Amino acid sequence: MSNDPMTEIRASFFIECEELLESLQDALADMENGAKDSETINVVFRAVHSIKGGAGAFGLDALVGFAHRFETVMDELRAGRLDASPEAIKLFFHAADLLQDHVRAARDNQAPPSESEPCLHALEALIDAPTGTEEEVSDFQPMGLGFDLDSFGAEPDATSYLIRFRPLDGLYQSGNEPGYILRALAALGETEITCDSDDLPDLLTLDPERPYLSWTIRLTGTVSEAEVREVFDFVEDLSELEISLDDLPVLDLPEPAPEPPPFMPPPPSEPEAVPAPVTTQSVPAATAEKATAPPTSEAKSPTVRVDLERIDRLVNLVGELVINQAMLAQSVNEAGLAPNSAVMTGLEAFMMLTRDIQDSVMMIRAQPVKPLFQRMARIVREAAASTGKDVRFRTDGETTEVDKTVIERLADPLTHMIRNAVDHGLETPQARLAAGKPAEGSITLSAQHRSGRVIIEIRDDGAGIDRDRVRAIATSKGLIPPEAQLSDSEIDNLLFLPGFSTATEVSNLSGRGVGMDVVRSAIIALGGRIAISSERGKGSCFSISLPLTLAVLDGMVISVANETLVIPLSSILETATLTPDDIRMLHPGTHVVHMRGDFIRLLDLGAELGYRAPKQSYVGDIVLFTSKEDGTRSALVVDAIIEQRQVVIKGLERSYGHIPGIAAATILGDGQIALILDPADLASQSSTRHKRNDLSLAG
Amino acid sequence: MVELMLAPRLDMAAARPLAEALRGHRGGALTLDAGGVQFVGGLCLQLLLAGAQDWRDAGLPLTFSARSTAFDAAIALFGLSLDQLQTKEAS
Repeated sequence: MSNDPMTEIRASFFIECEELLESLQDALADMENGAKDSETINVVFRAVHSIKGGAGAFGLDALVGFAHRFETVMDELRAGRLDASPEAIKLFFHAADLLQDHVRAARDNQAPPSESEPCLHALEALIDAPTGTEEEVSDFQPMGLGFDLDSFGAEPDATSYLIRFRPLDGLYQSGNEPGYILRALAALGETEITCDSDDLPDLLTLDPERPYLSWTIRLTGTVSEAEVREVFDFVEDLSELEISLDDLPVLDLPEPAPEPPPFMPPPPSEPEAVPAPVTTQSVPAATAEKATAPPTSEAKSPTVRVDLERIDRLVNLVGELVINQAMLAQSVNEAGLAPNSAVMTGLEAFMMLTRDIQDSVMMIRAQPVKPLFQRMARIVREAAASTGKDVRFRTDGETTEVDKTVIERLADPLTHMIRNAVDHGLETPQARLAAGKPAEGSITLSAQHRSGRVIIEIRDDGAGIDRDRVRAIATSKGLIPPEAQLSDSEIDNLLFLPGFSTATEVSNLSGRGVGMDVVRSAIIALGGRIAISSERGKGSCFSISLPLTLAVLDGMVISVANETLVIPLSSILETATLTPDDIRMLHPGTHVVHMRGDFIRLLDLGAELGYRAPKQSYVGDIVLFTSKEDGTRSALVVDAIIEQRQVVIKGLERSYGHIPGIAAATILGDGQIALILDPADLASQSSTRHKRNDLSLAG
Repeated sequence: MVELMLAPRLDMAAARPLAEALRGHRGGALTLDAGGVQFVGGLCLQLLLAGAQDWRDAGLPLTFSARSTAFDAAIALFGLSLDQLQTKEAS
């Protein structure tokens, strides 16, 4: 089924659409930031135009219809007859969002979005406006000066081409159909198509699988020869093709009517289709070459599209390779070979190679967060529109690369958080002005790599968390005892408790509290963590820390109470051996380590994980210092550090659900299974447990 | 009057069966039912053209009893008219 060439071509068209939509959003964002150069406007125009052209080839009428009307307005912009005012740019963004909906509806064979008309009307009203002041405009604008990248400065706005197309043997066998090509041409402009059946044999002698028909097409539109030739890309070697300039005066041609859409073929009014006697002016070969020479202005590095399943298989195989390599290394070590023996040297080279392969494979899966951020820009626009707030959305670190799966699974929690930020984080324009802030709120979404993880932050400049209120609600819901002593950060974290809901604030857009525990679970399921920081009157910041990949990590192998465990290297700040001066006891069972002027909580890993009872003394023990997103540090007591190595992550969530303090498991070189710890979660769990004990003692 | 129902997808796979069907119905009046046609490819189109010519030469009627919108749109897209696919002698 998937071998159908048309299905594949259609699928690749939709992938291209996503790329075009991305460049469309980029160019609009540039325009919003003041870029008004023809290059930026051309990117916008071409994105819409290319989507329309491709959609025409597949008969996606609703998509073509929408794109065509959008393109008409963009064409006015390109010709300098329409000004890109901030209001107009807002509309363009809205239209781009709808175009995306149309593309996705067409891709998924669903009904096109129904809410397009108001947007299109508003867009068309933009270009209707100047016609009212026609005298002024007509003064200096005898005709549209279109700037097409492909034909930059070389051709007038509308060009007429005469195309002769004769399919050869093999064209149909390769899955091509002249109908698709004729449709694609119709999408480029006005077409007059004539079918030539002179070579058609009679019914009895005709071979049903050989082509005999040919077509002559007169195409008129704002299109370069390169674009026309592009339509024939797939059939170049399977057809005879002749493209020449038609000498018909362009100005005599009627203006393309907005309705019906231009891909509709002319009505079959003539009784006998005789090839039209059109005089043509052939373009000399050299000129034709020149016209096709610069197909695009931007040089893209060549790419190959690969099915994600294949990559995943490769990732899994490399994971197995790493495990096997570890096992081999273990066996070699046990054989007691000399360190500089050929086997050991070979093994070292093998390990480095495995490492390189692994990094390369991971890079294939890594993608920039940009498309995800663009989706969020849309969420902001929609949320701002429905709440009547003015929001400036900024992004930072869009090129930061993260594992594709992480990106996909981050979309939902991020959407919820962005909506929350607009709905609850930012104040109304009136309240902002009253507080001495600009009426326009700001939301910043940023991504960056930090010590082997990716940190995504959603920052708003709103009112910040009302901690008294949060505390009061948590108390009234019985989530905390009234006398509980909580730090600011602990109060903020109450938002993540299941069942916490600031119900009086809940709107149809979001319900902070209801979703935040779900958001937290989703982030944890990704091996990530989420933290809040907030300053009253100045805003809040939600920080998500995620692993770069879900497949491997660099870990420190340690032992505690005869158990072998792995701690992610990225979470370890330093290691130390404790001296009597380092340790202070706060009260029985709670120790801190005095380290360069700071007091850091001591966590006895063996006791925390239930392997053994807490130790009486920690003098001489080894500790690993780890840090949480909010900067809180912990000192984990371990029995021994065995080695540092790369481990393959084997998820436990599917079989066991979330285990507090445990991120995943791995298989070591000797075949032993070791748990991979999540030190930050372990510290949070321990801190909550101690707090609960303290509270129960107090109450 | 013999009626031939055309396949919904008149693509390359349908070309040979269509050729055989048309050849099998030569020598008599023929009505084609294109009411269920969703796709017309170039190979079947040329068969329909050749068929119409064959019936025209024989002085026999070949007409359409029904046509889908997709069929009409495809004919127009290919730059043809319906009259080229049927005989005028039909009444």
